[in-house]
Amino acid sequence: MELLKLRQRVTLAQKGHDLLREKMDALVIEFFEIVRKIGIVRAKTMQQLSSAYRSLSTCFAVQGTIETYQAAREAKKEVGVDISTRHIMGILVPTIEAKLVERHALARGYGMYATSSALDEASRDFERALGDLIKLAELEEGAREIALELEKTKRRVNALEYVILPNLKSMVKFISMRLDEMERENFSRLKRIKAMFEGRE
Amino acid sequence: MSFKIATIADAETAAGFALAGVQDVHIHERKEGTLAKLDELLVSKDVGIVFITYRIAEELGFEFRRRIKTKKLLPVVLRIPDKTGWLPKVDELHEIIRRTVGAEIIVKGGS
Amino acid sequence: MSTDRILQFELARLNAHLPEQRITLKDALSSSNPQVVAKDGSKHKFERVELEYISKIVHADDWDKLRLPILIAVNPKLGRGAAEISGEVEVKVISQVLGKECRDREIVIYRPEIAVVRAKLPTTTQYFFMVG
Repeated sequence: MELLKLRQRVTLAQKGHDLLREKMDALVIEFFEIVRKIGIVRAKTMQQLSSAYRSLSTCFAVQGTIETYQAAREAKKEVGVDISTRHIMGILVPTIEAKLVERHALARGYGMYATSSALDEASRDFERALGDLIKLAELEEGAREIALELEKTKRRVNALEYVILPNLKSMVKFISMRLDEMERENFSRLKRIKAMFEGRE
Repeated sequence: MSFKIATIADAETAAGFALAGVQDVHIHERKEGTLAKLDELLVSKDVGIVFITYRIAEELGFEFRRRIKTKKLLPVVLRIPDKTGWLPKVDELHEIIRRTVGAEIIVKGGS
Repeated sequence: MSTDRILQFELARLNAHLPEQRITLKDALSSSNPQVVAKDGSKHKFERVELEYISKIVHADDWDKLRLPILIAVNPKLGRGAAEISGEVEVKVISQVLGKECRDREIVIYRPEIAVVRAKLPTTTQYFFMVG
């Protein structure tokens, strides 16, 4: 029965709409929370990074440009990150942890001979900035993924609410009305036939 | 899982990151060279984060934006200010927020 | 109709982030890498900070009764913006986060409360959409 199938489709579409709207609401909560965190971390990171650039400038002045670049080349490059994932409703979001970011002066690797505290300070400031930047990378990537999924979900909710459901519902109404009409026509036709037979008798 | 960090920057910024222990540091000179390096980093299995300065990303323009849109989950790419602190006029994140919040208000109205 | 197929697909995908098997608080605390695996094989890591916070709320005897992640069950029948938490231990944890006193087996929480819970326990709670 066409009408029955149509009614089932309306129910499915309505259920789908309601659930996807809940998902959308939930994604908005996630999005705003991560954006809030970004605000805090960005401010801190920018400050630390500025500080690092200043220390580096000082280092160039005190230690010498060539010497600084030399130390940069010699410095031990052991820093890394551990990346795993967490799930948020259909999307995978990275969680990033810094490994071995702040180090001792001795562990840095550039020759201790003929290097100054300016170099140590620049290294230390950049190490700190790096830690902040790693956190920021995690948050901004997460925000981007959530925003994408949110937009996709929103489009589906809107399509259901403003196009699909109204279409289905008006089709149901139309067919329903036609069936009623056909039944009325049928009924009056039967009455006339009956009257004809009764007239003959 | 463990990953390396990479940086694409000007010489000074690169030096700073090298001092902090970042292994893969690319000093930007010409567009083609840097794009090639970026492509290499984007398919690398052991790079987890790529830091690139706003200035260079802006210079790479559309080529940069396209790669960001089509890349896989890793490596994560973050734009950072260089020592001049230069930032593009439009903050991408603010744009996303505006689009999200603006449209969200419209949907809420049709409850 | 293809819209129906898209709808079926999206509904099936709604809970794809949920793990095949949840793990107990006890196992999570003793593991060096506490995580669960979703149906598609992708991993979801629990933050130690959250595990430790929960372990302080839940009595040690109940550590093997609490399954993680705690599910925030969304059922449209509850109305938009409402969700349900089930399980005595689970309810205890969530109530504590919200600063409420509650000893029921189930509670319903609302959007601003959901936001607080998700902010405090982002990896140890998950949404569960009731499709059936």
